[in-house]
Amino acid sequence: MIIVNYIASIILIVLGFYTVCTKKNLIKIVLGLGIVDYGINMLIVSFGFNEGGTAPIYQLSDLLNGVAPQFFVDPVPQALTLTSIVIGACVDAMALSLVVMINRKYKTVNADEVRRLRG
Amino acid sequence: MMQHFPVLAVMLLFLAAFLVEIFGSKNKVIRNGLTLLATTNALVMTLALIKPVMMNGEVISYWMGNWAPVSGYAIGIGYEVDALSLFFGILVTATFWLSSIYSIGYMNKDHHLGHYYTLFLMLSGSVLGLVFTGDIFNMFVMIEIMTFASVALTAFRNDSEGALEAAFKYLVIGSIGSSSVLAGVAMLYSQCHTLNMAQLSSILSGGLTPTSVVAFGLIVAGFGVKSYIVPFHTPAADAYAAAPTSVSMVFSGMVNKAGVYGMIRMVYIVFRAMDHSSVQMLLAVFGAVTMFVGVTMALTQHEFKRLLAFHSISQIGYVITAVSLGSALGLTGGLFHAMNHTLFKGLLFLCAGAVLYRTGTTNLDKLGGLSKKMPQTTICFLIGAGAISGLPPFNGFASKWMIYQGIFTKALTSGNFLYVIITVTALIVSVMTLASFIKVTQAVFFGQLREEHNDVKEVPAVMLIPMYIMAALCVICGTIYPLVSKYLLFPAANASLNVGDYIDKMMGAGYAEAAGVPTMLVEPVTFSFWNPVLWLILFGIVFFAAVIVILLGTNERGKILTAGEKPEAKYATFFSGEEEMFSQVGGSDLFWGFKKNWKGYYKVFTELHSGIVTDYTSYTVIATAIIVMCLFIFMR
Amino acid sequence: MQILLFLVKVLIFPGALFTACVGLFLAGIDRKVIAHMQKRIGPPIRQPMYDFFKLMGKETIVPARANKLVFLGAPIAGFISLAIVMLFIPIFGFTAFSGTADLIVILYFLTIGGVALIVGGSSSGSPYAGIGISREMVTMMSYELPFVLVLLSVARKVGGSTLAFSMNQIADYQAANGSLLFSWSMIPAAIALLLIIPAEVGMQPFDVAEAETEICEGPLIEYSGAALGMFKLNTAMKMCIMTGLFTSLFLGGIRTGTVVCDAIIFVAVCAVVTLVCITTIHAVTARLKIEHLFKFYWTVVSGLALASLILVWMGL
Repeated sequence: MIIVNYIASIILIVLGFYTVCTKKNLIKIVLGLGIVDYGINMLIVSFGFNEGGTAPIYQLSDLLNGVAPQFFVDPVPQALTLTSIVIGACVDAMALSLVVMINRKYKTVNADEVRRLRG
Repeated sequence: MMQHFPVLAVMLLFLAAFLVEIFGSKNKVIRNGLTLLATTNALVMTLALIKPVMMNGEVISYWMGNWAPVSGYAIGIGYEVDALSLFFGILVTATFWLSSIYSIGYMNKDHHLGHYYTLFLMLSGSVLGLVFTGDIFNMFVMIEIMTFASVALTAFRNDSEGALEAAFKYLVIGSIGSSSVLAGVAMLYSQCHTLNMAQLSSILSGGLTPTSVVAFGLIVAGFGVKSYIVPFHTPAADAYAAAPTSVSMVFSGMVNKAGVYGMIRMVYIVFRAMDHSSVQMLLAVFGAVTMFVGVTMALTQHEFKRLLAFHSISQIGYVITAVSLGSALGLTGGLFHAMNHTLFKGLLFLCAGAVLYRTGTTNLDKLGGLSKKMPQTTICFLIGAGAISGLPPFNGFASKWMIYQGIFTKALTSGNFLYVIITVTALIVSVMTLASFIKVTQAVFFGQLREEHNDVKEVPAVMLIPMYIMAALCVICGTIYPLVSKYLLFPAANASLNVGDYIDKMMGAGYAEAAGVPTMLVEPVTFSFWNPVLWLILFGIVFFAAVIVILLGTNERGKILTAGEKPEAKYATFFSGEEEMFSQVGGSDLFWGFKKNWKGYYKVFTELHSGIVTDYTSYTVIATAIIVMCLFIFMR
Repeated sequence: MQILLFLVKVLIFPGALFTACVGLFLAGIDRKVIAHMQKRIGPPIRQPMYDFFKLMGKETIVPARANKLVFLGAPIAGFISLAIVMLFIPIFGFTAFSGTADLIVILYFLTIGGVALIVGGSSSGSPYAGIGISREMVTMMSYELPFVLVLLSVARKVGGSTLAFSMNQIADYQAANGSLLFSWSMIPAAIALLLIIPAEVGMQPFDVAEAETEICEGPLIEYSGAALGMFKLNTAMKMCIMTGLFTSLFLGGIRTGTVVCDAIIFVAVCAVVTLVCITTIHAVTARLKIEHLFKFYWTVVSGLALASLILVWMGL
């Protein structure tokens, strides 16, 4: 059931945004961003999924002879997802390294205390 | 030959980024040489495209790995340089070229410059790639690289006050923006099964499904985050102030313009949504709020670069408002203002950098009287301030004039009173911009010199040259704008409005017609309000004649007396007979009469800019939700 | 020949010379009438001219703290921009450059006049000047909102959709339909503009920026000689321009056909406007505080202008 995927990914996205907006711990904020990313990745994969389709992997002879099955999963979203996962991992790594540096400098990871720039 | 230029420009920037890291982390000459070489190459290659794209109206296309469209389906990643892309591309390469020259002088006191130049070149490559690409997912990837490089560059001077904090906020808000772009792209793919923008446009012209409306909302919000319109603007103010100034210039000059480019590309070309008055109204309101909030917040700032950052936000508001009008006049004005903003805001940031480089501070309350020590910087700053306040004969005036005309014409033709309010806002914001630059002028360059700045010198030539180039461009673009309009602005505006042409050139002739995209004839915008060249020449002649007469002071009775080496009572400042003391009217003391009346407003807005990252994310998420919902309700 | 004509227009009529003479004349009238109102005899009408020429012959002292180029360049920049503004204001039937005149251009060139004063004062380095420029800028911000509203209501009333702000269109409209002052929806806007004029030229009760008795002429404190003379001339020219703007926005439509007659009537009308909005108000009021000034313009005057704009928008 593909609809379950959609619902789950929307729930993930909403949960992620909820975390980002309400949690005061900087590490939790980074995790929230990650959750949003996973939700979106799931959404993308689900968009490309065709129920009962096969993997889109053929040999050249199959295609030339026309024996390839006509019904397969869309490969493009999977490529997109891979790219997006890599980017998401980079975001998390970068954000966490910034949190480490902030912790060294401010001696805290509480968002309410990391607010020297304001007004 | 020509078709390889865009991809080569982008690739060589990325290549140079890695080469700098490998070979240049120790050696200064290799580092600077490679950076200059790559940025100059990119500039030359984009400028070489002017002739075919701007004058002959071609679209340069390059398919990665030669995956050209087969039977009307574009599967490969294509670079598509039409006039709109090239217009922004020229701005990108010029900005990065100037910034790389400036960096040589400005960054020479810092360490680990290999990393700096790597990130700098990554940033330039990604922005240029974003502008040139014709593939919507490739655009997202470029946005992400851009965000990364920006974040790392913001935190580059990580020992300075607030740099890490600013970088973190920038990353979080930026990621929310990219996430919504990604979600939008995914939804769009699920509807159209293609990622090529030309093909998307022709498919979407059949009408928008509910899913594609949501996708549209998400993409508009995402690019809104990238162009830092209010309420997404909060990290921009922090990051522009915290980043090294050569980078702030690029951020304010080009990185937020990339968001504007994305907005124009999506709204005008991919979705062609400007026929809907709801889209126009939404963007116009966001633009007006942006320019107002930006400038009012700028008025209270005590920090030179943070003030400039808020002005960047405010000027982006002008661009968004102008773009939202959907008319040729509005779009031309918006593009022109985007270009002018790159010039004058870059110039102002460079001046701020010059002050920071020599004095070590940008706090407006700790500066003063620098015009005697840094006269050339002062002149450049005054030109930039005049341009951003829209004083004739600088470039800001011409573009603002077009924007006012565009908005008020829209008000008259649509009969909507909202546009009158926006016109008034735009005009008032212009005065407030002037006011805050008067404040900076008084607090930094005029008034009394502080004792600790007695040995301040003018900045080195390598920093002055980019400033002079930008100042000259500010004046030139303000005077020869009929030419600028003919060769840069009108082709770009035409490309955004005349979508059928673009699709035909990308996907093969007759494609657009088959998909039902109409071909439009766009009238060039005419300028008849005044002939600035004539005026400028006259102004210059009279001014110089008068200055020479005054400076010579041949008349014995009316001659000009200036103070010599030893102090004389005649040249001292008047203190009502009191003893002379240090007396500088600082930046935060100015405009008291204004602030007192606006106390309530400032109380609320200073609290809203609380500096807490969760507040900022809440604004972002809520505003994204509002944009999506508004579009979903009104566009269907 | 064309260049010569251009130069004549810019330098003599209706540009620099004409504006300067009319401005000084209006300033003279103002002083004379106010003296009579206060039961004094007052100086002769030519007195501002004498003052100006006398100042031009005095030596100019550049203070030690000042930036020389900006200090001396500011009054000249102001003078040139004000001379250019007058070219865009139609003198009833006569416009120096037809098709080029535009309300926005006028608005911005007027701003340059103020900016010249501010930058010049700021560059002198005096703390009095610092306070003065702050007040001048706040004054500018105060009257800009009602000014913009007035201009928009005029533009809407005249209602060209292609070039919304064209001055020529306003003149033609009034020639065809009678002066705008006599259309009742424009009366609040006219009153608002009358109240803006004294602030723009820096007359009591809106002369906070130059308040002689408290901050010793503010931005002008360090100026002397020719530079001071230029600034005094600029103020007089602003008087001419603002009253002229009022005349052409609200009292246009008189066309005798000859330029000389037009110009004479124009100067006469300007003098009347000066008497109404500058002299009378000056004679009966005391100086406001800066925060009250701001409030006054953003509530009362803007309210008047907004009322006019809304009335016009509703098609009245």
